[in-house]
Amino acid sequence: MTEAVKHETVLDTGAEQLGKTYARALIGAAQKSGVAEQVVEQLGRLVDEYLRGSPQLAAAFASPRIDTDEKARVIDRVFADEFHPILVKFLKVLAGRDRLAYVSAVRDAAEAQLDDMMGRVLAEVRTAVPLDDAMRSQVATQIGNIMNKQVRLRESVDPELIGGMVVRVGDSVFDNSVANRLDKMARRARDGFSSQLLKKFSQFTSQ
Amino acid sequence: MKFNSDEIASVLQQEIEHFDSKIDVREVGTVLEVGDGIARVYGLSGVMAGEMVEFPNGAIGLAFNLEENSVGVIILGDYLTIEEGDEVKALSTLLSVPAGDAVIGRVLDPLGNPLDGKGPVQTDVTRPVEIIATGVAERQPVSEPLQTGIKAIDAMTPIGRGQRELIIGDRKTGKTAIAIDAILNQKGEGVKCFYVAIGQKDSSVAGVVDVLRKYGAMEYTTVICSGASSPAPLQYVAPYAGTAMAEHFMFNGGHALVVYDDLSKQATAYRQMSLLMRRPPGREAYPGDVFYCHSRLLERSAKLSDELGGGSITSLPIIETLEGEVSAYIPTNVISITDGQIYVQPDLFFSGVRPAMNAGISVSRVGGAAQVKAMKAVSGGLRLDLAAFRALEAFAQLGTDLDAATQSQLDRGYRMVELLKQPQYRPMPVEEQILSIFAGTRGFLDDVEIKTVQQWEQDFLQFARDKHGDLLSELREKGALSEELTAKIESVIKEFKAGYKPIPA
Repeated sequence: MTEAVKHETVLDTGAEQLGKTYARALIGAAQKSGVAEQVVEQLGRLVDEYLRGSPQLAAAFASPRIDTDEKARVIDRVFADEFHPILVKFLKVLAGRDRLAYVSAVRDAAEAQLDDMMGRVLAEVRTAVPLDDAMRSQVATQIGNIMNKQVRLRESVDPELIGGMVVRVGDSVFDNSVANRLDKMARRARDGFSSQLLKKFSQFTSQ
Repeated sequence: MKFNSDEIASVLQQEIEHFDSKIDVREVGTVLEVGDGIARVYGLSGVMAGEMVEFPNGAIGLAFNLEENSVGVIILGDYLTIEEGDEVKALSTLLSVPAGDAVIGRVLDPLGNPLDGKGPVQTDVTRPVEIIATGVAERQPVSEPLQTGIKAIDAMTPIGRGQRELIIGDRKTGKTAIAIDAILNQKGEGVKCFYVAIGQKDSSVAGVVDVLRKYGAMEYTTVICSGASSPAPLQYVAPYAGTAMAEHFMFNGGHALVVYDDLSKQATAYRQMSLLMRRPPGREAYPGDVFYCHSRLLERSAKLSDELGGGSITSLPIIETLEGEVSAYIPTNVISITDGQIYVQPDLFFSGVRPAMNAGISVSRVGGAAQVKAMKAVSGGLRLDLAAFRALEAFAQLGTDLDAATQSQLDRGYRMVELLKQPQYRPMPVEEQILSIFAGTRGFLDDVEIKTVQQWEQDFLQFARDKHGDLLSELREKGALSEELTAKIESVIKEFKAGYKPIPA
């Protein structure tokens, strides 16, 4: 369970563009060997576990002062055993072109492109309590039926919702949380109440 | 007085019982950056241009710039409590404001929220703020007069219902005063008035509201105020909001008068927003579509065809010039959009000619057709005569000897200038205006001391009101000068002059 998913709030259009281009190349190469899915999953692990877990490694990747050969040696030593050779080669290509700093942009783009190709959508589900398996499959099939696509769930727990769930697919949010309902009820009651108050002012006041 | 808590609780209970919950589906985005009244939002991929969005603090925004990776939103409200990462919700509606009789007599902000402490506007009628103006087939030429109650304007640059007449001039030359007098004169005429204050000091707006209230004009007037301290997006939408409120009356066969005070500040607010949104600047750093910003606003003033009820919106946009520079960008734009302009000048203003209208370059391109016939008969040629007089006056100052004809032209001019002076907040009914100008243009004032012309006029009108009320009402009803009526007026003037002795000052 990760914490509530937050969108990136720094928009680097250059990085986004770069990421898209490299992601297309990576998926293209991986697809020839039929391992696209595996490679993208591994790329995700690389970003989440290694780069996020070790700021030094991320800094080394981004640094222009460490030369290409050194970076390639590091990549070989750290990743060669664990990851698919295509991904390792791809990382070396990035290193050779001084683009290693954009690995996470490549990852975002690659996931989106792969989802697009496989006819999948990413649904971010926020709930007040962790989902159990039955619930999880029910949510996935329900959303899948509506969207007519396969669903990849990304779950997070947010106790502030009190109950119910919030599903976000792309930019659309389906909100059936208790917190939201309470909020709406409060607003409705407040609006309705103030208009009633003005209308029936005399009734509310007695001498 | 005490509140009955049981009643209140029952109303609350009703509200809660009638609440039905549906799954809330919304289109969202995330705030990337915010400041200076604008926000850049990631997401909102299905939002449309001009669509309303809502921020978590309740502020409303408008999708202003749709870009490849983000949406530029202008924030109509408090932007100081919006944070990076906040969720923005698309409301899938266009901005609209309350309209109808409920807004009359109120002081509102451009979103229709009360500024006068009288509680929210209670109405079901709303109108979209931005609409496309009515087309050619739905209109008819301007034909009805809209009396401003100011002699100089009604005689020389008459305004018709449905006309756009620009009031232009430097700061402190009485532009607002002209507009306020025009509003005051609509009392009992069935014309709803809208005073849109854009980027003004809140103190001066309070002053205007006070005057309107004092002279009983708030009964048919709405003040839409976005002061100098409101964010630029609010100043930008204020005139559109005011027009939307006025349109409700126009489309229901009524008449409305809208004063935009002033459009140069709106252009400045629009420039600020556009620059912050990184739209390319053009002349004087205004964006390329600042002309459209004003033309689409003023195009909404119209006289509707009889099939649509014959309603109208008359607008009096105000533009402030710098050092009399009418060839700056915004003034030339608005001059070319409007159906004429009233040009007020500081030197006239400070020499005591108030309203300080320069007759030579003030025009009304369509109002002549709408002018009251009798007024047209007495004031025809007055504007050109006055313009010629100004030229002659400059020449006469050289101290040259003048022939008798020129001298008499000068004397007539001095008296007409005197006659056209009018104190503030004292709009005049049209029949009295006709009498005054008749006396001036037909030479009945030529033997009156220049200094006593104003006193003479005042006493004469008092005399006419007291002794010849029937003549005034006949003039008002007929609106045209027959030969018989002309003779009657002449005899009244002669009668007055025979018994009149000016009180020495």
